[in-house]
Amino acid sequence: MSGHDSKYFSTTKKGEIPELKEELNSQYKDKRKDAVKKVIAAMTVGKDVSSLFTDVVNCMQTENLELKKLVYLYLINYAKSQPDLAILAVNTFVKDSQDPNPLIRALAVRTMGCIRVDKITEYLCDPLQRCLKDDDPYVRKTAAICVAKLYDINAELVEDRGFLEALKDLISDNNPMVVANAVAALAEIQDSSARPIFEITSHTLSKLLTALNECTEWGQVFILDSLSKYKAADVREAENIVERVTPRLQHANCAVVLSAVKIILLQMELITSTDVVRNLCKKMAPPLVTLLSAEPEIQYVALRNINLIVQKRPTILAHEIKVFFCKYNDPIYVKMEKLEIMIKLASDRNIDQVLLEFKEYATEVDVDFVRKAVRAIGRCAIKLERAAERCISVLLELIKIKVNYVVQEAIIVIKDIFRRYPNTYESIIATLCESLDTLDEPEAKASMIWIIGEYAERIDNADELLESFLETFPEEPALVQLQLLTATVKLFLKKPTEGPQQMIQAVLNNATVETDNPDLRDRAYIYWRLLSTDPEAAKDVVLAEKPVISDDSNQLDSSLLDDLLANISTLSSVYHKPPEAFVSRVKTAPRADDEEFADAAETGYSESPSQGVDGASPSSSAGTSSHVPVMQPPATPAPMPDLLGDLMGMDNSIISAQLVRRDGQIFYDISFDNGTQAVLDGFMIQFNKNTFGVAAGGPLQVPPMQPGASARSLLPMVAFQNISPGAPNSLLQVAVKNNQQPVWYFNDKIPMHVFFGEDGKMERTSFLEAWKSLPDDNEFSKEFAASVISSIDATIEHLAASNVFFIAKRKNANKDVLYMSAKIPRGIPFLIELTAAVGVPGVKCAVKTPNKEMVALFFEAMESLLK
Amino acid sequence: MGIVFTRLFSSVFGNREARILVLGLDNAGKTTILYRLQMGEVVSTIPTIGFNVETVQYNNIKFQVWDLGGQTSIRPYWRCYFPNTQAIIYVVDSSDTDRLVTAKEEFHAILEEDELKGAVVLVYANKQDLPGALDDAAITESLELHKIKSRQWAIFKTSAIKGEGLFEGLDWLSNALKSKS
Repeated sequence: MSGHDSKYFSTTKKGEIPELKEELNSQYKDKRKDAVKKVIAAMTVGKDVSSLFTDVVNCMQTENLELKKLVYLYLINYAKSQPDLAILAVNTFVKDSQDPNPLIRALAVRTMGCIRVDKITEYLCDPLQRCLKDDDPYVRKTAAICVAKLYDINAELVEDRGFLEALKDLISDNNPMVVANAVAALAEIQDSSARPIFEITSHTLSKLLTALNECTEWGQVFILDSLSKYKAADVREAENIVERVTPRLQHANCAVVLSAVKIILLQMELITSTDVVRNLCKKMAPPLVTLLSAEPEIQYVALRNINLIVQKRPTILAHEIKVFFCKYNDPIYVKMEKLEIMIKLASDRNIDQVLLEFKEYATEVDVDFVRKAVRAIGRCAIKLERAAERCISVLLELIKIKVNYVVQEAIIVIKDIFRRYPNTYESIIATLCESLDTLDEPEAKASMIWIIGEYAERIDNADELLESFLETFPEEPALVQLQLLTATVKLFLKKPTEGPQQMIQAVLNNATVETDNPDLRDRAYIYWRLLSTDPEAAKDVVLAEKPVISDDSNQLDSSLLDDLLANISTLSSVYHKPPEAFVSRVKTAPRADDEEFADAAETGYSESPSQGVDGASPSSSAGTSSHVPVMQPPATPAPMPDLLGDLMGMDNSIISAQLVRRDGQIFYDISFDNGTQAVLDGFMIQFNKNTFGVAAGGPLQVPPMQPGASARSLLPMVAFQNISPGAPNSLLQVAVKNNQQPVWYFNDKIPMHVFFGEDGKMERTSFLEAWKSLPDDNEFSKEFAASVISSIDATIEHLAASNVFFIAKRKNANKDVLYMSAKIPRGIPFLIELTAAVGVPGVKCAVKTPNKEMVALFFEAMESLLK
Repeated sequence: MGIVFTRLFSSVFGNREARILVLGLDNAGKTTILYRLQMGEVVSTIPTIGFNVETVQYNNIKFQVWDLGGQTSIRPYWRCYFPNTQAIIYVVDSSDTDRLVTAKEEFHAILEEDELKGAVVLVYANKQDLPGALDDAAITESLELHKIKSRQWAIFKTSAIKGEGLFEGLDWLSNALKSKS
């Protein structure tokens, strides 16, 4: 390369991106707008214009709605690739969410929800909070959806900021669209959460039913689908729901119709009045029929759903079978579904009509359809005893046309008919035998061979017929071979003459020596041994009377059917599979103890499978202390050098433990009994994250324990350190290990009263003030039926020992009312009112506290204190 | 003669635009100053996560004023706004003596920037209404303004809440910008 060639590397042209950059920074608004349009155009055709991020974002603060929308569009696309710079847009979003123009407010909050960048989600909360309470319904309904989006990004944040409550409030909104979107958002959130979040109460029920009439069609679908999860309390409520939902059946949108049908079907379960049910069935028929005049795709969906409905309530469409007759131009998938429903609806009343149709279909050109039609005739014969003969005559007519696949299919169904009605229609066997040579499909062949074997005594030349099949025995598919084997055995048992004897020799030989198929070989050996030991017994076994069959093909299990009916108008009802079978949802379960036990792993513990955090503890704790015979949970993959030794060792070891409070300090009072044959040492303890943030305040001090010895230790604890999120519960999960044994896990209970502080005493006046300042919502009461107060003074003293301080008492009729106070750290007071008659079981405990979540645990603690 | 010149200037630069950055530590009062200049009233503000941009017409100059968030997390992105900037308004919370050192460091870091070589610097010693606020001389001292070479600068005592000193500063700025070009 000569020195002059360097000129090729320098150019005066700057390329598209720098040019755009310059234009974006232009001082003229029009030029900037054009530039943003160019950027968006480049973005849509797939060019990477992410490097212009700040320049585009700088155009965001504009009066021009069009420009703003374009910038927002850009942000949605590129915020993910520029997560750090995305923060520059936050202020504009915040401003826009307060814009006087509701369109801009909604646009801002909607766009923010689409930007899935962790760093900026927290800034989304304030604008979202405002927009949820916006004056304009358009903004509110957009914000509602945004909550669901945010939940997907950060569920914890949504719960902490109380957006779920805000959403629930929106259900009572006066604008039906807002209600619909709130419902949609809540349903979405519920789908991705393992906890119950959205439960319709009778109050929300009436709100939803009111909104139903006024909102858009898709809003109606959201509401109807949520309503379908509601279990009506009684018949009257069910009837009321149905009454309010029934008008939706007239809607032009099929999704609305199907959702309405779903609700009505579900509520009908509760309705006992046959008149009402009959009326409802009448009302549901026309809309369902109307669905079949839509496009084929929608027809298909409707048919799949109708298939389910008909299985549950055949009466709805019993008189409408004609609409399910196939049209010549129906797509095949619609025809197949229609056939299925026709079979389900066929009855003694309409069977002639139906058979005429089926016969017609059996002469069409589409082979699959024809086969299905022939099979349908057979299934009708099996289903309707009185029509069986008519069905068979149709089948015989069809056999006479001698179309190969029709004949074969007919033989298959006739075999089933013989099984259904034994010894009734055998006269037609002769006709069947005429088509013997044309059979080339395994199933048809196998069916024919079964018929020959089963009725060998009535077919004069049964041996000849079978023999003709036997020639090709080695080449036949397994299905046919098995039938041939059985049929030959039957023939031999029925006609033990020379011919069959030779045949059976040949077949058994073929089926044992010359086959690789274990099923065939095993069956052959069984027959062989049966025949050689006791031919009479063989007769009893092989020629035993067979149970009569019934048509249960394509019939769904009733629990599955109910499951699918609850999912009408979803993919599940089209697939006829429960949703779990084809979609997997990521449930945001309350975060289990992964983190904590990961810590434990560092200090030499093994990871434990997460144990139910939500209180489903198998702990045998009675009252407040737990005596846990230590057993290893079966699934613990703990390192086990000597499995047997561990198991034996642990069976006899016992840990008892209890949280106690002494001198203002919380201790874990824990004692060990060494039931093993070895010295145990190196004890360590670990606590899982819990509501009260209880954790060990130091290492566990347990001296080495001789076999049979016991040890006790007071482990100082700290509280409110590392608090587990979620609803408060008293579960304390503990892991203990030593050098000899794997980790022991057990669940203990945290008695709340250990947290009652010495500072919980209140003056009368401040108690009164505090009581008055708390709203009535914060007052709860509970009856402790088993508790008895035998002496007021003793109770006061006893409670004071646990830092529940007496303030005042008064008499009310024959009862004493005690006012007391307690306080747990973080300044959460409990204002207590105990009402009881001395010596009479039953203490009423009322409490007022700013922290409602703790009330359940508080009652638990009080009840145990008053025992 | 002076009057003739002024007319000449205003006719030549009548519709001039100037791009101005308002910088400073968080809670210095940048956003309040911006809206005080633009609307003449005190608005309630929240920490600016990102930026605000407004146009302020003053002395025949159309100032495009960019108010950038002052939080530590956002300061690194100030540089995205440096190109084509004619002037910087650096806002200091005169009562926040603890952070004057930080303010000084950020200030001098800005002055080092190549892209801001030609920019005029106006310092607002803001929050003069607060008790214990340092005066302009003290702020000059703590920001080491005298170290600034080859650049026009000025410092004004301001109170965005009371609206004092802001327009005096803007007067100086418009003159400085006019005389520069």
